[in-house]
Amino acid sequence: MTRRRLLNLGAAAIAALGLTIFAQGAWIQAKAVLAQYLLEDAFAESVATGRPVKPWDWADTWPVAKIEVPSLGRSAIALAGSSGQALAFGPGHLDRSAEPGEPGTTVYAAHRDTHFAFLGAVKVGDAIEVTRADGRTFIYQTTGSEIVRWDNSGISTDARGAQLALVTCWPLDGKTRGPLRYVVHATLKEGAKIAEAR
Amino acid sequence: MKRLLITFFAVLATAIAAMAATFVKPNDMGTGALLFKSNEPGQFVEAPRVASDFDISVTGQIARTRVTQQFRNPAKGWVEGVYVFPLPENAAVDTLKMVIGDRVIVGDVKERQEAKRIYEQAKANGEKTALLEQERPNLFTNQVANIGPGETIVIQIEYQQPVRQSGGVFSLRVPMVVAPRYNPAPELVAAVSADSVEMYTVSDPVPDRQRIEPPVLDPRSNAPVNPITLAIDLKPGFDLGEVKSSYHDVNATGDASARKISLKNPEFADRDFELTWVAKSGKEPAVSLFNEKVAGNDYALLQITPPEPQAEQKRLPREAIFVIDNSGSMGGPSMGQAKASLVYALDRLEPGDKFNVIRFDDTMETVFAQAVEASPENINYARSFVNALEASGGTEMVEPLRAALRDSNAGDGSLLRQVVFLTDGAIGNEQQMFDLLGTMRGRSRVFMVGIGSAPNSFLMNRMAELGRGSFTQIGEGGQVEQRMRELFAKLENPVVTELKAAASDAAIEVTPSTLPDLYKGEPLTLLVRAKELKGDIAVSGMVSGRPWRQNIALDTAVPGSGISKLWARRNIDDAEVAQSLGQISPSDADRRILALALEHHLVSRVTSLVAVDKTPSRKPGEKLTRTDVPLNLPAGWDYDKVFGEQKPVLEREAMLDPTLIASTRNAPAAQSPDAQQQIDLPQTATPSQLLMIAGALIMALALLLQFWSRRTRVA
Repeated sequence: MTRRRLLNLGAAAIAALGLTIFAQGAWIQAKAVLAQYLLEDAFAESVATGRPVKPWDWADTWPVAKIEVPSLGRSAIALAGSSGQALAFGPGHLDRSAEPGEPGTTVYAAHRDTHFAFLGAVKVGDAIEVTRADGRTFIYQTTGSEIVRWDNSGISTDARGAQLALVTCWPLDGKTRGPLRYVVHATLKEGAKIAEAR
Repeated sequence: MKRLLITFFAVLATAIAAMAATFVKPNDMGTGALLFKSNEPGQFVEAPRVASDFDISVTGQIARTRVTQQFRNPAKGWVEGVYVFPLPENAAVDTLKMVIGDRVIVGDVKERQEAKRIYEQAKANGEKTALLEQERPNLFTNQVANIGPGETIVIQIEYQQPVRQSGGVFSLRVPMVVAPRYNPAPELVAAVSADSVEMYTVSDPVPDRQRIEPPVLDPRSNAPVNPITLAIDLKPGFDLGEVKSSYHDVNATGDASARKISLKNPEFADRDFELTWVAKSGKEPAVSLFNEKVAGNDYALLQITPPEPQAEQKRLPREAIFVIDNSGSMGGPSMGQAKASLVYALDRLEPGDKFNVIRFDDTMETVFAQAVEASPENINYARSFVNALEASGGTEMVEPLRAALRDSNAGDGSLLRQVVFLTDGAIGNEQQMFDLLGTMRGRSRVFMVGIGSAPNSFLMNRMAELGRGSFTQIGEGGQVEQRMRELFAKLENPVVTELKAAASDAAIEVTPSTLPDLYKGEPLTLLVRAKELKGDIAVSGMVSGRPWRQNIALDTAVPGSGISKLWARRNIDDAEVAQSLGQISPSDADRRILALALEHHLVSRVTSLVAVDKTPSRKPGEKLTRTDVPLNLPAGWDYDKVFGEQKPVLEREAMLDPTLIASTRNAPAAQSPDAQQQIDLPQTATPSQLLMIAGALIMALALLLQFWSRRTRVA
């Protein structure tokens, strides 16, 4: 075996390694996009039937809401819970946070490089629409945004009125994990009742 | 070139390792590691381990115990460990020490919120700190913050408790593990408001549910955790007969009047420890009296065993309501013991008695529409019903109690009405049970039969006290017959009624203020406080229909220790009982308990012990992760019966009702002042772009190498 062949072989191996790593990165992006199609269907079905519908058989979560920002033409189907697995497919509705339209703060979190990549473009005054699994839509108005530490969010579960917080990682174009989060705050627009007659 | 490559990979590896830090994902771990949810959603941390040592010395009627808990952090980051553990329901807990290297930091008793504030402050400052809180009188939480990577922190907790005595047998029970509890779901209560819009509020029977639900390991896939060691120095004050450990093998050494007992084998915290002893025959003490002087006051503990009735008593006919728990937590040997006990009880019924049987899990069934004659046919029918019972489902205990207490002939004095309740008591809504029993007890007397390796003895004892009955514990199959026989001796009739204790001096306070009836073999226990112990206490009552009276001279007391704390603890119990009976309001009870607990340095529902090491150890910027210490499943329990069936029921309900999801999640936070109301945010960065950049770089490197190889050929 010559030195040249050894070098060529090495180059091929390194190229394969590079491709694998690149593919892993690209797969995260692809998964995020593909899953949303399946989730759209599952969410539509759960609105129609009134029952949680799993998007695929082995899923450990289910769609709970649709988040839309009409001014940007962006939307995403949110999932129950915010485990790493759920966030790979869509924004997660934080376990301890309120249901949309209910008093308290409703919190959705998603990755900055996939579903909430648009969060930086949301401006004060923009409407954010949240449709629940029961089919009712609540319209929130953006009141501001801030950068907080993950363990000092200042987001209270029992805040007054119905609040909405959309959360992603800060800096928005960062490449590594960090302790900071970007939060868009919105508050429920007039008219929506807190509890309905049954 | 080679060096370049190595440097490149080293940099890449460091970058990936830095991303991992303290947190791990389940797939990153090998076997044998225990992973638990941290406060950052979706991320897990390796749980801290706790080893416990119990050092107990029994002097006369009082046992003082020092529990040493070693918190070891196996993870690579800083952690806060949260350990939920049981103590005897009548323990007066007065000491918390934190040992770091050769320094000992002694904890202080503070009002609960104040203690919590001190702890949170120290935690944020990076100082080592420990907080001991009472969740139930027999259930405590120990939180230890800022345990460094690989570090061990030792916590010592000390308490005293009176020795239990019944039928000449003395016993000491050391609970070791908190059994998983069934916490009934919050109820939605409709309330109509003025503008005809219906509003819903939530009433949670277990407002502190998230504080008493530590993770439990499935024994089929996990080695037992939380090892224990135990030593007892037994000096009962009389010559000893047989000394026995009920559920563990022990070594015992010593002479006629003192024994040293230790565990024979390595054990884990998965079942209660019980030691029983009797006096050498003929040496049984009829009266024992100990005293202690603290802060200008004299305290005394007095125990009297009334004489056995001379003549055989006439057996009174009774109406017996048997309630049997067949919920999932009773799965395994417990169900067998409960069934055997109930069948034994049915066979003891006599013509002229009436009876009924109620079984419950998260549903309930009553065998007969109302209590029926104890005819052979009826008994046979009930026996086959009991024999067919299987353990499954949740534990909704309130409705069966209500059904058992519903008394259709309340005025009928010809029958003794007795409720015999067989359960492991694995519920979190004790207060609901007490409140119901307090208001509905009427003429019924309630006898609790505790089943299994780790029953909720707080529920059992308080129910027996409120229900003016007694509590019997059956921990394994072999005990069924003997203990049920003892219980039935008690069921026949209270031996001593109309008990009164009067001190010769009005300045002498005697607790409890209202004395219970005594059943066969039970002693009367009194706690006394006075400026000076002198004169005597006259105890009187009716023993099987005849008057009985005994004077005890207070100056015959033998010095003891810890009696003032037991006095305070008994008064705290009295305040709680008075609250359940509706005699005082909950806030009055809180006020009384606070004064007692602060004066006597005790942990209670309104006071906690907190210790802070002022030397900071965790630097600002280093992350602290909070995690629960996992518990063993109590011995003999069936994991699937508890977790395979009970939890999904609740989850299924919650999934179908979005309002319920919202309420179960928000209610505890809104109602409990301890609940953390601020939300922590999850990790929302993916390594996607980093991976893509690294991949592209590596491919570029390959191209470079290829290019270089070509140049080599040319050259």
